[in-house]
Amino acid sequence: MSWTRHLVRRALPFAALAVILAIQALAVAPSVVAFPLYLTVVLVVALQQNRGESLAVAVIAAMAVLFLPLATGHTSELLPAVLLAAVLLAVAVTMSELTRHMRDAASAEQRRLDGLVASERRLRAMVEAVDVGLGLAELDGTWIQVNEPLAALLGRTRHELLRTTVSGLTSDEDRSSVEGALGLLRTGDITHWSADVEQLRPDAQPVPVALFMARIPGAGADASLLVQATDLAARRRADAMRDGIAAVRQALITSGAVATAMPEVLDALRTYLGWARARYWARDAEMPADGLVGRVVQSGVLAADRSAVAFPVVDAGEVVGVIELTSDRPRAPLDDEVTLLATAGVEIGQFIRRSETAQALRRSEADHRAIYERSPIGIARISADGELLEANPALLHMLDHDEETMRSSAWPDILHAYDQAAARSRTASFLAGITDGSSVQVRAATGAGNWLWLQLTATSIPDPQGRLEHVLVLVEDVTAVRETSDRLAESLEAQREANANLEKLDSTKSEFLSIVSHEFRTALTGIQGFSELIRDGGLEADEVRAYGGYIFNDADRVNRLIGDMLDLDRMESGRMTMRTADVDINEVLSEAISRAVPSAVTVDFKSDLDPRLPIVAGDRDRLIQVVSNLVGNAVKYSPEGGTVTLSSRVEGRFALLSVTDTGIGIPQDEIGHVFERFRRVRSGAAQSIPGTGLGLTIVKQIVEMHGGKIWVESAVGHGSSFHFTIPLTPEGAGALQLRHG
Amino acid sequence: MADVNGSAPRPAVTVLVADDNEVAQRLCKRVLEKAGYAVLIAADGLQAVDIALAQRPAMILMDVAMPGIDGLEAMRRIKAEIPGMPIVIASAHSMASDRERFLAAGADNVLSKPFRLADLIAIVQSLTGAPTT
Repeated sequence: MSWTRHLVRRALPFAALAVILAIQALAVAPSVVAFPLYLTVVLVVALQQNRGESLAVAVIAAMAVLFLPLATGHTSELLPAVLLAAVLLAVAVTMSELTRHMRDAASAEQRRLDGLVASERRLRAMVEAVDVGLGLAELDGTWIQVNEPLAALLGRTRHELLRTTVSGLTSDEDRSSVEGALGLLRTGDITHWSADVEQLRPDAQPVPVALFMARIPGAGADASLLVQATDLAARRRADAMRDGIAAVRQALITSGAVATAMPEVLDALRTYLGWARARYWARDAEMPADGLVGRVVQSGVLAADRSAVAFPVVDAGEVVGVIELTSDRPRAPLDDEVTLLATAGVEIGQFIRRSETAQALRRSEADHRAIYERSPIGIARISADGELLEANPALLHMLDHDEETMRSSAWPDILHAYDQAAARSRTASFLAGITDGSSVQVRAATGAGNWLWLQLTATSIPDPQGRLEHVLVLVEDVTAVRETSDRLAESLEAQREANANLEKLDSTKSEFLSIVSHEFRTALTGIQGFSELIRDGGLEADEVRAYGGYIFNDADRVNRLIGDMLDLDRMESGRMTMRTADVDINEVLSEAISRAVPSAVTVDFKSDLDPRLPIVAGDRDRLIQVVSNLVGNAVKYSPEGGTVTLSSRVEGRFALLSVTDTGIGIPQDEIGHVFERFRRVRSGAAQSIPGTGLGLTIVKQIVEMHGGKIWVESAVGHGSSFHFTIPLTPEGAGALQLRHG
Repeated sequence: MADVNGSAPRPAVTVLVADDNEVAQRLCKRVLEKAGYAVLIAADGLQAVDIALAQRPAMILMDVAMPGIDGLEAMRRIKAEIPGMPIVIASAHSMASDRERFLAAGADNVLSKPFRLADLIAIVQSLTGAPTT
């Protein structure tokens, strides 16, 4: 149909031309008369149709104008008709060109308008879509337009908001500054202004807002204000949460232990996230089994009610505790807060494990350190080549060295001392022979110059590859132990010696008994045998006499033996009392000689007495016994015609007395034993000489009781000299000095 | 000096008395001669060995405690030369342990001093056979 209308519309001008031509022909009117009609058609087509069509119509119209003059032959009319046709063509061209221009301009304008509309639509959508409150206001603060986020931010519908002003919603504190800013913007003194202010919601709850206002120039006084309001609550909360988690982390990092970290952690959560109270429930403490905390423990995830939130502290998927935050007013955790708390729960859980591990490690380390530092035992850590790496205080104190001296000289000395001893005993050096737990003892000098016995016990510490990394050497001062054990050994030795002495004494005693009984029985053999002979009769008179003599002599010998033994026993047991008086030694010697002479007719006596010899203090009878015994021995062991010489002189503070004979002498192997009991010299010429065997033992006892000494010089075949000393009294010594002076 | 009974019809049985004690020597000599023995005297151990080996007495009466070598050593030396020689140890060491000691050393019998004269004669007779009187 539209195609049909299009055809009709395009055919219509040609029909019009045909009609005009027909009328002109009928009326035989000149072309000039019909020309306006032709022109009208051409103009209309040129205005409405495109260029080609209007030209086509113009050509047809021109031909129509020329047709009649040509057909009638009116040549006079031909020229004007050509002119008119040219006008028609020119008008058509001009008009169609003009129309095309006009059409182009109109379509450009249309496109511009379409673009503006689209732009306006996009802008509006954008303004609505941004998450920032945007609005347009008059310079006096009256809202012209607001977007939805702004309305939501301020807690109102867009319609409600349009009835307010920019400063009308500002809190009392901030309102004056906002109004001041509006004034300055209105006058154009400033072009924009921004500040953080509090706006009020309809329920009077303040909303922190970053307010930005900019003057938008319009035509003349048409300037308006662009107002941008950003919700600071969200940013502040984000900041608070960021700061909160930072504070929690800071507390965890700077604090070593849960006990110190937890209050800071709770404080950070409480203040930064805006809760009234925070509390930590350790899993093993008496935590509530119900309520929020109980729910968290059971579910393992965060739980919240109208004014509290509780979230788990998690370590390796296990709830080790719960943190509960409570508020005085209704307060539900926001989504990002929930995320934050869950994250914090995990971090705190990890921290708890780390800090418990670290604490255990630290405690263990501290324990070991304490052992090392405070141990009464010295501990040295040495390298595999023997260098001292570390010495504990006990070791330094023990050896009285500082660490430097210890390292540079004292410790090398100790090792050197050990290695020397090891070399002597052909054992391995300290480092070569080291085995765990083995101990060695070495001598070491302290800084103060004392010598200690140290017991070293080594423990090798391998590196992870099992090679010897260093050696721990425990050093104990065993000086006291060593000394004690030495003393013990000494006392044991002394005890052993005493025991040996006792045994010796015991055997000496039984030996003594054996000897004594032997002596008695020997004497009794003669007494018994000869008396039996006499008793049995049948003897000659001279036989009886002789046997009676034997009997008498042996009986006498037994008697002397008994006397000597009793004397000796009294002296040795300290029961012998000395009757001490002034004694003239020379007189004692003379007395002894005069007693001996009658029975010793075969020897000569000589005396060489010092007349200056002072009086001594002594027991005269005992001293006579001493000299008589020595003289008796001298006589007994002297051959016929021998000489016995007695001499006296002063020797220092002593009187020195000597009995010298020219007798048989004492063999070298016997001379050390002559003062022992029953040690009679029986060899050679001495064998037939009678004696109890106790005489010299008694003599020695008496001399020693006087504070003197006795000794003998002898040579076999040349005789013997017995010397003994008796101390002078102080008066005697003094008198001697006077006499000498 | 030993040959007192030189005029006896048969050669007398000879006993060596070794003792360093003169009284003991005389006693034994007197008693044994009276009992019909010929008696030799030695005053110490070495003499005893010399006389025993040289004279070959029928038996020996040996003291222990003598100068030089003692009676036990003398006995050992004599028995080494003449294993069958009867030797009686006559000692004033007369504890029970002594008797054992002497027998263990090889003595044929032990006579403790002091002794009964009859015991002396009996012990000599037991080792020599009774001399004809």
